[in-house]
Amino acid sequence: MPYIKDKRPETMLLEGEWNVGAYKYKAPHLLEEFVQGLKEKKLIGSMCIGCGKVIIPPRNICGRCHQRMEGRITVSNWGTVVCFVTSPPVEKGKFQVFGIDPVESGLIQEGSVLIPTFVRFDGADANIVTELCNVDPKDVFIGMRVKAIWAEEPQGQLSDLVGVEPI
Amino acid sequence: MVKRVAIVGYAQSHHQYDMQKTREDMVFEVAKEALDNAGISRKDIDTVVTASTDFLDGRTISNVFLSMAVGAYMKDESKVEEDGASAALYALMRILSGSHEIALVEAHTQASTFNPHQVSFYTLDPLFDRQIGLLNSVSAAALQARMYMDANDVSEEHLAMVSVKNLMNAADNPNAHRRMPDLSVEEVLDSKLYYDPIRELTMSPISDGACALVLASEERAREITDFPVWIEGVGTCHDAYLRDRNLLRLDSLRKAAEDAYKMAGITDPFSELDVIEVSERFAHEELMIYEALGLCREGKGKVFIDKWVTQRDGELPVNPSGGALAADPVCATGLIRMVEAAKQIRGEADGHQIPGAYRALAHGQFGICAQKNIVYILGGE
Repeated sequence: MPYIKDKRPETMLLEGEWNVGAYKYKAPHLLEEFVQGLKEKKLIGSMCIGCGKVIIPPRNICGRCHQRMEGRITVSNWGTVVCFVTSPPVEKGKFQVFGIDPVESGLIQEGSVLIPTFVRFDGADANIVTELCNVDPKDVFIGMRVKAIWAEEPQGQLSDLVGVEPI
Repeated sequence: MVKRVAIVGYAQSHHQYDMQKTREDMVFEVAKEALDNAGISRKDIDTVVTASTDFLDGRTISNVFLSMAVGAYMKDESKVEEDGASAALYALMRILSGSHEIALVEAHTQASTFNPHQVSFYTLDPLFDRQIGLLNSVSAAALQARMYMDANDVSEEHLAMVSVKNLMNAADNPNAHRRMPDLSVEEVLDSKLYYDPIRELTMSPISDGACALVLASEERAREITDFPVWIEGVGTCHDAYLRDRNLLRLDSLRKAAEDAYKMAGITDPFSELDVIEVSERFAHEELMIYEALGLCREGKGKVFIDKWVTQRDGELPVNPSGGALAADPVCATGLIRMVEAAKQIRGEADGHQIPGAYRALAHGQFGICAQKNIVYILGGE
């Protein structure tokens, strides 16, 4: 049955904004260590002394053991695709990665696709979400072996890990 | 109550302005300490109730990342978007229902993440008050304070005396944020004016802090500790929105207190209570709270301050820990009052112990001008 839109008197609307300004999240030690590692092209995770689990990006509390994850461990730059998704062709001004428009800045061409991927780096027990690059979307499969792509000159920031590519 | 529930363990952080810890770290520490204090481990907890607001945490459904830190991993968990004292009520009900035996209650706010007074603006009516833009939690409190002072012949000195009492008490409380052993009335009256008569020292500071407590059913409480603090009565009540109620009185607190007294079998609160811990976000609120709790007649709150009745060595000490004026991690404040009251009953409030405290009242509030109130009566063995 087709939906017929009746003519109705318009409800009064008031404009409202929800501009709450900037938040400042505390991030001592852990994130600092992680990005310092990225600068040296290293992936530093935190390890629980209780159960031996390695979490990357690092987290400071192991919920299973309910204790601090005191250990630090560098995991491999190689990993496995746990799952992935293929985006529709990207358009200019539609989305941002690390706060920049990748189309506008020339990182990717308009019309190409992105493949956000969960990667489990060897030695880690948690997945990291990053982009799968330099591959035809048709060729990607779960369990695919990949390696990290680093920025040419790592600055010690999260965008130093550009993505992963097939080995 | 048909069954009895006791506080068997507690912990609170060292509240401060700018805590150099992540939210998860801060919560982990108090949760762990509370479990240690009770002498139990994460395995023993049946249910976890946390309290915070998404706005103050800066993320929606803010408990998703907290479950690990608080110890709720793979456990029954829920969150109260209010004061921690309400979370304790929720945990109490879960134990009374019979489906759980031990509950961990946790509340926190890192006010340095985002200014809570700015958040308060978004609790206002979007169709009218927010369009006009004149009100926020501080200006609303100032209106209330002026109204109260005018009706009851209360001077600014009275408000300053409340601050002096609480902040000097806080000097002996290592957990408090604002500790001022040598404060004078003049200093309070010289402090920065925000909205007349609300000054820097007659309103609560914005603090980072967390608080946790462990509740247990009677059977388990006796196994866990020799010094359980029993919840003898509880009452909660929610008033109308700011504009639609009599700001001169805290009617919802009066109702909540009456319910709690009835449950605990208290007929004369002034003589039957040994110590009181209240959440006074502003100095004038403490005077209004005296009246709403039925400790004195309407409009006579100032007499308690004048006659030193509520000093730490007075007849009925109020806020020996310093109260909310000394530290106010928004969502944790009410739960901290419960912890401070329990500490007094257990005789563990080192510097600010009231000798022989046996029965205590703890009060928590939420909303602009104390819209919602919750009252607990706690008692020893």
